[in-house]
Amino acid sequence: MKFKLKYSEKVKVIYTLYPVISIVIALAILSLVIYIIGVDPIKALYYLYFGMMGNYNYVSETLIRATPILLVSLGLAIAFTAKVWNIGAEGQLYMGGLIAAIVALNSGGLPSAIAIPLIWICAGLAGAAWAFIPAILKAKYEINEIFTTIMMNYIAIYFTSYMLHGPLRDPVSHFPETPTIPENTWLPRIIPQYRFHAGSLFSLVVLVPLVYIMLSRSTLGFKLKLVGSSRESARYYGVDVEKSIIYAMLLSGFFAGLAGANEVTGVVFKMRPEISPGYGFTGIAVALLGRLNAFGVMLASIFMGGLINGSYTMHRMAQVPVGVAYFVQGLLIILVVAGEYILKRIMLVKGVSVR
Amino acid sequence: MYEIVVGQLAATVRILTPLALAALGELIVERSGVLNLSIEGIMLFGAFVAFITTFYTDNPWIGILSAMGVGVLLALFFGILTVLLALDQIIVGLSMNILAMGATFFFYRAIFGWYVSPVPPHVETIITEMPIPGLSMIPVIGPIFFNQTVFTYLLFILIPLTYIVLYKTRIGLHLRACGEDPLVADYLGINVYKYRFIALAIEGVLGGIAGALLSISQYNMFLDNMTAGRGYIAIALVILGGWDPLKMLLGTLLYAFVEALQLRIQAAGVVVTAWFPYQFALMLPYLVALIALILFGRRIRGPKALAKPYRRVR
Repeated sequence: MKFKLKYSEKVKVIYTLYPVISIVIALAILSLVIYIIGVDPIKALYYLYFGMMGNYNYVSETLIRATPILLVSLGLAIAFTAKVWNIGAEGQLYMGGLIAAIVALNSGGLPSAIAIPLIWICAGLAGAAWAFIPAILKAKYEINEIFTTIMMNYIAIYFTSYMLHGPLRDPVSHFPETPTIPENTWLPRIIPQYRFHAGSLFSLVVLVPLVYIMLSRSTLGFKLKLVGSSRESARYYGVDVEKSIIYAMLLSGFFAGLAGANEVTGVVFKMRPEISPGYGFTGIAVALLGRLNAFGVMLASIFMGGLINGSYTMHRMAQVPVGVAYFVQGLLIILVVAGEYILKRIMLVKGVSVR
Repeated sequence: MYEIVVGQLAATVRILTPLALAALGELIVERSGVLNLSIEGIMLFGAFVAFITTFYTDNPWIGILSAMGVGVLLALFFGILTVLLALDQIIVGLSMNILAMGATFFFYRAIFGWYVSPVPPHVETIITEMPIPGLSMIPVIGPIFFNQTVFTYLLFILIPLTYIVLYKTRIGLHLRACGEDPLVADYLGINVYKYRFIALAIEGVLGGIAGALLSISQYNMFLDNMTAGRGYIAIALVILGGWDPLKMLLGTLLYAFVEALQLRIQAAGVVVTAWFPYQFALMLPYLVALIALILFGRRIRGPKALAKPYRRVR
């Protein structure tokens, strides 16, 4: 059997596979750099793979690492759809984590089935509240949200640091952190002997389809798309642009807050100053890598989670410096942003529909 | 008291210099209609490259030169993607900043080893103050303005120069035309692409220097994400100054004063930090920038074509 594709169809196939192609290119560049450093790239890449999904435990760890990234980037996918540039997910995550720890520590023996949803909702609301200030400034006064959210990141991180050094500090601990939260607020583990917990499962199975439906099937999703493509025409069609901007911002803040709650109730069981190694920024890359599509974002965040875990294995076993994950993430985002838009342009010229 | 006041003001001018250089570059670029968020990444790469080259050559001037070179390369890369290929300027800018964070983080460890060293690597020689003979002896004014690095003097020449070029010359008029309405500018025979690329190259030079001053003048080492949002703050200062170099300098002055105050609070020791926690001191500059944006950032009218991709009709 022979496949004969027309030029326009070829371009479409390349476009669909482009995220995979850019991952291959990024890993090729990484191998070159690793080779220059003086490490065998084959060995390094093997351990990268092994740390990502070498056995069931590594798969479980990858999914755990992917969850906060997934939560952040689902929210950012909503915001970016409306071209609302929320760069403040990191700060919103910190506020979510802080509130999650406070609520958990004061939950006073509530049954888990009530305590955990309560903690998650409070954390989400905390993230949304932190996003509300830039949202209202953007919608009412046209103050660029990029700069306000960046400033509020640093304010949130230093505020958290103050709370953990001061009022919330565990008096017994040597580190600035809260006491361990009561066990009834811990997310239950799904499979015995693995750390894979209910928060990961809930995010993957419930939230991803929910966001997908919201963005592609609901009125709000349609409004956000309209606002994103052109504010003027959205207004012409009778969409309340200001309201849509505020919704987009609040939803993304809510999801970032959930990411904080996920870390506190599922992974660390306390609040720490280093609760997030830049998940808020990784989320930006993942949202764009997943083309602002919930399922795309899910795949991209699992890849990033695996990459972060794999880079630790690569460091331990092949002496590759830490930080590989962030380097590859940077390469990927440039490749995706530049390559995809160029492909889109070609398709536009050749009259291939992008869907 | 005299010592404290003069010390605080001299520190203000010292901190102001890199920030104002970056903001000036961004102002020129935004006047041509391009919003370059990657100034943050340019500064971070500048700080990194300046540190590495100074570490190996022991000559901070080579560090400055290489930071300028990297700055120009990055700015032109940004230009190829956004000006020539007309990609979304915000997405490309954010992406380049994520790359800058990741790449400097990784290569710093690749070059200096992955182990945790008790003493982080540092350079022996840095860019130091160059007091101007005579002028630096004037009381109050001397130590504040005339006992600084050569780049402070450069800044105080470039600010009025930019003002004059922007408002009093044909080149400035053409540049502003590209930022207001590139289509009409093109009809009138102005090469929009050329103006935007030249503006970006200038920003690359200034942003590279600004980053280098952080790592090999104000410090003698490189820290992860050492720009800590200063590129974004520089853009915020451009907005607050209404895209006017003189007003922008005024805003930068106020911001740098707060930043210098913040360092002073941190250095003051337990006496002060007991009632004013150091985290609040660290927070102060960002809080001030945020409040300034809230109070004065409402509906400031920028260049009309800012951040809008322009594609030439052929």
